[in-house]
Amino acid sequence: MTAASAAASRKRGRRIRRILQSDHLSGWAFAFPAVFLIFVFGIVPLIWSALLSFQQTNLISPPHWIGLANFRALSHDQLFRQSVAHSLVYTALFVPISVAGGLFTAIALNRKIRGVRFYRTAVFVPVILSTIATAIMFLWLLDPNFGLVNFLLGEIGLGPYGFFDSATGALYSIVGMTVWGWLGFDVIVYLAALQGIPPTLVEAAEIDGARTWGMFRNITLPLLGPATLFLVVWSSINALQLFDEVYFLTKGGPGTATYVVVYYLYSLAFNQGVAGYAAAIAYVLLVAILSLTLVQLWVGKRLVYYAS
Amino acid sequence: MTGSTVPASRVPSLATGAKAGAERGRRGGSASQREPGQFLFSPWHLVLIPIAIAMLVPMVWMLATSLETLNETRHFPPIILPHTLRPANYSDVLTQAPFARWFVNTMIVTVVTVAGNLLFCSLAGYAFARIKFFGREVVFVLILATLMIPFQVVMIPTFIIVKDLGMINTLYALIVPNLAGAFGIFLLRQFFRTLPVELEEAARIDGASRLSVLFKIVLPLSGPALATLAVITFLWTWNDFLWPLITIYTPNNMTLQLGLATFEGTHQTSFNLLMAANVMSMLPVLLLFFLAQRYFIRGIATSGLKG
Amino acid sequence: MKKLCVAASIAVVMLLAACSSGTSAGSPSSNGVVKLVLWMGYTPPPPASQGAEYESLKGLVADFTRLHPKIHIQMEYVDNDYALQKVTVALQGGEQPDISYQYGTNMPQVAQAPEVVNLTQTVKQPAYGWSDFTPGERDVATVGGKVLGIPALVDNLAVVYNKTLFAQHHLAPPGPDWTWSQLAADAKAITDPAKKIFGLTFPADGSETTVWEYEAMLWEAGGHLLTPGNSKAAFNSPAGVQALQLLRSMQQAHSLYLDFHPDAGTSESLFNSGKLGMIITGPWDLSSFPAVHYGVQIMPSFTAGGSHQTISGPDNWVVFNNGPARVQASLEFLKFLISPANLLKNSLATGDLPTRLSVQKLPGFAEFNKKYPGAGLFAQNLHNVLQARPQIPQYPRISAALGREVVAALLGQASPQAALNSAAQQADTYLATGG
Repeated sequence: MTAASAAASRKRGRRIRRILQSDHLSGWAFAFPAVFLIFVFGIVPLIWSALLSFQQTNLISPPHWIGLANFRALSHDQLFRQSVAHSLVYTALFVPISVAGGLFTAIALNRKIRGVRFYRTAVFVPVILSTIATAIMFLWLLDPNFGLVNFLLGEIGLGPYGFFDSATGALYSIVGMTVWGWLGFDVIVYLAALQGIPPTLVEAAEIDGARTWGMFRNITLPLLGPATLFLVVWSSINALQLFDEVYFLTKGGPGTATYVVVYYLYSLAFNQGVAGYAAAIAYVLLVAILSLTLVQLWVGKRLVYYAS
Repeated sequence: MTGSTVPASRVPSLATGAKAGAERGRRGGSASQREPGQFLFSPWHLVLIPIAIAMLVPMVWMLATSLETLNETRHFPPIILPHTLRPANYSDVLTQAPFARWFVNTMIVTVVTVAGNLLFCSLAGYAFARIKFFGREVVFVLILATLMIPFQVVMIPTFIIVKDLGMINTLYALIVPNLAGAFGIFLLRQFFRTLPVELEEAARIDGASRLSVLFKIVLPLSGPALATLAVITFLWTWNDFLWPLITIYTPNNMTLQLGLATFEGTHQTSFNLLMAANVMSMLPVLLLFFLAQRYFIRGIATSGLKG
Repeated sequence: MKKLCVAASIAVVMLLAACSSGTSAGSPSSNGVVKLVLWMGYTPPPPASQGAEYESLKGLVADFTRLHPKIHIQMEYVDNDYALQKVTVALQGGEQPDISYQYGTNMPQVAQAPEVVNLTQTVKQPAYGWSDFTPGERDVATVGGKVLGIPALVDNLAVVYNKTLFAQHHLAPPGPDWTWSQLAADAKAITDPAKKIFGLTFPADGSETTVWEYEAMLWEAGGHLLTPGNSKAAFNSPAGVQALQLLRSMQQAHSLYLDFHPDAGTSESLFNSGKLGMIITGPWDLSSFPAVHYGVQIMPSFTAGGSHQTISGPDNWVVFNNGPARVQASLEFLKFLISPANLLKNSLATGDLPTRLSVQKLPGFAEFNKKYPGAGLFAQNLHNVLQARPQIPQYPRISAALGREVVAALLGQASPQAALNSAAQQADTYLATGG
C-alpha cells in the first residue's frame, strides 16, 4: 500500500466514522422527544405500578411498604371476584355479538345496491361518538318511565323494564348499548377485508359451481380469518377494560350488579384511598389481558389461514 | 340474487353488450349510468333498513328531545314530534354550565395533542424507518410493547407523576402525557417504509440534511398517513373521559366529556337540556367525520388489516 | 420554518392553557396589614348566580374588616367536593390558603398535613364556647384527640312529610314520640301503586348517602357502628339487623321507593310532585318543596320512649399555618364568625342552622322558623345529635362496604343479618390492616 492510498483510506475511514456517528446522533435526535415522552409516561409508570402494588398509599400522604398484603387481601376479596365475573360475562357477550353482527352487517353492506353509502354512514356514525354521548342517549332511550324503548315494548305487550336501574338487567343493557356503539368498527374492518378478497378466487369458485353458502363457508370466512382474529383480540381487550359506561350510568350498581374490574380499581384508588391495592388489581388485569391475548393468538395461528 | 362480491367493473367485458343491455331493458332501467348489478330494490334492503333504523333512531330521538319543553319530555306515551319547539334549551345549557369553556378547553387539548403527535411521531417514525442508530430495534420493540398495556395499569403512577410536576387540574395534565404515542410512531414508520428510498437518498447525496429530507420530501408524500393519524388522534383525545376524570376537578378546567358527565349529575331529570348538551358536544366530531370520513375509515381498516 | 411555526403555535397555545387556573396566596405586607386567603365553596361570586350563603359571608367579612382594618380577607371559590384535593395540591406547592372550608369527612385526611393548625388549646378559651357546639360537631372537628377545625355548617336528618297525603288517608300527623312501626304503617297506608305513590323513599346507590341514613336508624335502635376504640365493626348487632329489617320489610310491602340516583334530586322532585308521603332529609332541601304543604318531625324511635337520635354532617373551617401573624388573624376572624350574634344573622339570611345551641335561645331566633318553615324543628333536632361517624382513615372503605351490603339486603339478595355480617367482615379487615 502506498502512502497516498493509506492516507486516502484513513480519510475514508474517518469520513465513514463521521457519517456513522452522525447517524446515531441524528437518529436519536429525531426519536428522542417521542421516546422520552413514552418512556416517562408509559414505561416508567408500568414499572412504578408494580412497585405500588406492594405499597399502601392514599395518593395524598407518602406511601409505605406492606409487602404482599395487597395480594393476600385480593385473594379474599369477594367484591373483586364479583367484578371479575361481571367483566368476563360482559366480554363473553360483547365479543361474539359485536363481531358476528359486524360480519353480517358488512356482508350486507358489501353490495352495490342503491343507498348503500347512506347505510354505511348510518352504521359508521355511532363509532365516532364518545362513550359519554352514547350513554346519555341510551339513558334517555331506556328510561324506565319515559323512554322510547319501554313504550315500544309496551305496545307489543312486554316490559316495562328497569334497564340500567334493574339489578338483573343492567349489565345486559350495557352490553346492548356498547354493541350499538362499536358495531361499526367491526363493519369497517370486515368491509376492508371483504374488499380485499381477490375476485378471481370468487369467479373460479362460481365457475366450479359453488353456491352462496358453500362459497361463504369455504372461501370468504377463511379469508376473513385475520380480520376476525384481530377483531376478537381487540374487542376482548377493550371489553375487559370497560369503565366509562359503568361510571357514568350505574356506578357499579344497582347494588353491585355492574361492578367491573376497572371500575372497582378506580373506586379503590380515588374514592377509598387505597391506591396500592388498586395497582395490584391493575397488574392482575394486565396479566389476564396478556394471557387471554396470547391464547387467542395461539388459537388463531392454528385456525387462521393467511393468504400469502 | 347477486350475492357476489365482485365489483361490477371487474366483470369481463364480454358480459356486457347484448346480455347486459337486455337485462337493463328487462328491469326498465333508466338511462342513467347505473352499473349492472346495482338493483333498485334488493332483499338485502330488508336487512339494512332495520339496522340503519336501529343505528339512527337513538340520535333522532335525542335531537327531538333536545327541542322539547320539560313537560313534553315527561309525557307518556313519549312524544315523537314535539308540539312546541324550545330551542332555548340550547342557550339554557350554555348559561347553566360553562359549556363554552369546556368546548374551548377540549379544542386546545385536542389541537395541541394532534400537532404534537404529528410532529414527534413523524420525527421518531422517520428515525425508526430510515436511520440506523444504536439501540433502534430494542427501543422500537419497547415502544410497541406499550401498545399492549391497558391504560389503567399505568394510570395511577402517571397521576402521581403529573401531580408531582404540579400539572393536576390544568390542561397540561391532559396534553403532556399524550403528546406522542406508540400508535403514531408505528403507523408512520410503516408508512415511511413503503416510500421509495431512492428519492431520499438522491436528496442526501445532493447534500440535504436528514431534517430537510423529512420535511421537504417525505412528509409531503405522507399526506394520507398524516391525515389518518391526525383524525384518529383527534377522535381519541376529544372523546377521552377517564384521564380527565382523575386529573381535572374544577368545572372551568374540564373537557367536554367530563363536563357533560357532571352536567348530567345535576340535570338528570331535565332530559331536554341534557339532550341539547349532548347534541352540541357531538357536532364537532360529526362535522370532522363527514369532512374526513375517508381517513377515519382508513385508520380503522389499516389497524385491522395489519393485525 | 414549518417546524418553527408548529413549535411556536404550540408554545402560544400552552401559554393560553396556563391561564386557565391559578391560585394566589396572600402574604403580609410591610405596613402591618395582614392579607388572608379564605377558600369557600358557596355559589361562585358574580356573574354566576348569587347564593344566600355567599352574600351572607361577604357581609360578615365586610363587618369584620370594619372592626379590624388591618386584616384583609380575600374570598376564593373552591368547589367543596374538591376542596381536599385542591388543598393537598396547594400544600405541595406551598400555596395553601389560610382558612379552608372542608367537609367533616375530609378531616382524617386533612389531619395528615403538618401545616394544619392544632386548635385544641385555642378552643378552650371562653370566647370559643366549645361546649356550646353539639357533641357531634365537636367529634367531627377532632381527629386523633386534636381539635383541627371550627364548625362551619351543621345539619341533621329528620322526616319531612306531606300533610295533604296524611290528611287524605286520615292519618294523624307524626308526633315527637312516634316510632318506626308507626312510620311504616303510615307509609303503607299512603302507598298507592296505581298512582305510583310511595310512602317513603330511601337512597339506594350504596354511597355514603345510603350509609349515613342507615346509621341514624342504627343509632336509634341503640346500635353502634364500631366498637369503642374503633377496633372492630359493631353494626351487625341485633340493633343493626332491626334497623335494616325494618327497611327491608317496608320494601317488601312496596311502600319503600328505592332511589338509585339520590344525587340527581329524583326523590325531591317526586316529593314535590306529591308522589311521596315522606322523605328523610335535611334543612337544605326545604326550599325544594314549594308545591307541597309539608311538615317536619324528628326521627322516630324503635321503641316507645327510645332514642330519637339523628345524624349530622358538620363541615369545618380549617386553619393552615402561614406564619404566626396570619394564624392569629385567621383565628380572630373565626372567633368573630362564630359569635352567637353573627350566627343568628347568618341563619336568618341563609336558612342554615346555627352551629351553636345557645343561638336558639336568642330573642331574634323566633324569626328563623317563621322565615324558613320547618327549619326551626331541624334546629331543635340538633339536641339529638349525640355522636358522629368515626373520624378514621378507613371510614371510606367501611362505608363503601356497608353501603353495598345494605343495598344488597334491600334488593333481597341477602338477608339483613347475612348482609351486615358480610359488611362487618370486610370492615374488620380494613380496620386491621389500616385501610
